[in-house]
Amino acid sequence: MSNIIEVKNLCYSYDGDAQIVKDAVHNVSFTVKSGEIIGIIGHTGSGKSTLIQHLNGLLKPASGEIIIDGKNIWDEPKKIKDIRFKVGLVFQYPEYQLFEETVFADIAFGPKNMGISGVDLTKRVEDICDIVGIKKEYLYVSPFDLSGGEKRRVAIAGVMAMQPKVLILDEPIAGLDPEGRKEILKMISKYREQFDATVIIVSHNMEDMAVLADRLIVMNEGNLHMYDTVYNVFTKSEELEGIGLSVPLVTKVLTSLKKKNSGIRTDIFTTDDAVEYLCSIAAGGRYA
Amino acid sequence: MLKDITFGQFFESSSPIHRMDPRSKILLLILNIIFLFLTKNVFSLIIPAVLTIVIIIISGVPVKMFIKNIKTILPIIIFTTLINLFYGSAGTVLIAFWHFTITTSGVMRAVYMASRIILLILQSSVLTYTTTPNDITDGIESLLSFLKVFGLGTAVHMLAMMMTIALRFIPTLVEETEKIMSAQKARGADLENGKLFDRIRALIPVLIPLLISSVRRAYELAEAMECRCYNGGVGRVRMKQMKYSLLDLWAAVVCVAFSGGVIALNILL
Repeated sequence: MSNIIEVKNLCYSYDGDAQIVKDAVHNVSFTVKSGEIIGIIGHTGSGKSTLIQHLNGLLKPASGEIIIDGKNIWDEPKKIKDIRFKVGLVFQYPEYQLFEETVFADIAFGPKNMGISGVDLTKRVEDICDIVGIKKEYLYVSPFDLSGGEKRRVAIAGVMAMQPKVLILDEPIAGLDPEGRKEILKMISKYREQFDATVIIVSHNMEDMAVLADRLIVMNEGNLHMYDTVYNVFTKSEELEGIGLSVPLVTKVLTSLKKKNSGIRTDIFTTDDAVEYLCSIAAGGRYA
Repeated sequence: MLKDITFGQFFESSSPIHRMDPRSKILLLILNIIFLFLTKNVFSLIIPAVLTIVIIIISGVPVKMFIKNIKTILPIIIFTTLINLFYGSAGTVLIAFWHFTITTSGVMRAVYMASRIILLILQSSVLTYTTTPNDITDGIESLLSFLKVFGLGTAVHMLAMMMTIALRFIPTLVEETEKIMSAQKARGADLENGKLFDRIRALIPVLIPLLISSVRRAYELAEAMECRCYNGGVGRVRMKQMKYSLLDLWAAVVCVAFSGGVIALNILL
């Protein structure tokens, strides 16, 4: 598979009155293959949000290159808008950006800016609603009458309706109840299948990262600390804890169990796998 | 961009003027402005000018910050100067063309008007540079508290509280605006290009979410305040008590002395 995103030596710093000018993102390089799901984890203020705002050209790097689909996005600064349609970015708490009178109009805002209109526009909006599970009767309701979780889904659908090849989401499940979280994650997976999209998710939820992501980017104080498979990242629990992160809860449970019995494996990161593993032990009759 | 908006341009320092009571700073500013307007001509302006320079030096605020403030109202100064230039009828004619004549008294008048505005701005800048917005509001509230006699005590407190909250939320709203702008740009909104009308229309996706979140914040804040038994100023005491000190007395003496100077010059000239 080809690389859809290439980031080379990216540096960026916010200008401020602070006398110590520290890079918000310092010399970060990585590549993402087409179709991958990448998770970005990191402590608050580690540069995650700054990093992702570079990928669709909202921030311009102080130095370094961002290559999307083989093209440096800042080669033609006038066409930066096209990059934003190719790389869809969903901000934190996207429901606070809803503004239109109806759900339909709000989802249509992005595609309209792309120059899509009429029947094509209607089709696009309806298609995306099918995928993300927004009911047809909701389309002509005011988005402000919806519940928190529904608003969030409409807001994410607004970015998905542009059918970006790369979908980036900043903490898409923050502040939602378990049901709402499941819905959002389901709609992200569905979108990815439907459009062969590459997905980048910033999250603090290690469990969901373990389930969803192929590879993880670990950010620490503006530096790319690790970029590896979920297995290789989460087996380094001490290193993660050193930079204020942690492994999934289920892995912690297994680590505690290991203290009682050194035979327990601790390289399991999802609840489903852990259940299977523990059941197999129980079936083996060793600790039953 | 948005982050260039400075509001409440407080300059951190511990000069004698910073340490003065906000109430006396406000009162003395009013006194100085009154006497600035009681001057009769450009010569008697010398006294307020000297006073202003003295205050600026004592305040320890860099001069370039004052120049920045004058620059922002430069159009007004130029406009006033030009208007007044043609207003004098006495004195020798310097230039005359078409319907316009510029006389020496016109020039004097223009210089007088311009310097008066500049001094006014400088004096008020000293207040905003040396006093935090919250201190100014507290000062105003305390100075207006005499209105209690007319049963307007709550109104004064409400006004002051509104000002405090507004000031407190300016940075929050600026940050929020930037966030919403980025989010709408990510959806292809074009906020920078296009004709004036298009650009105004392009602001709708930014302004509506901003308005909604302001209302939401207002409700949240109101609830948080009620949870802490806020009931609108009645029986409320202050954590930071304002106290007049010797410093305020000295400042008052100096300002009154200069005001006396203005009266003296007005009589003499």
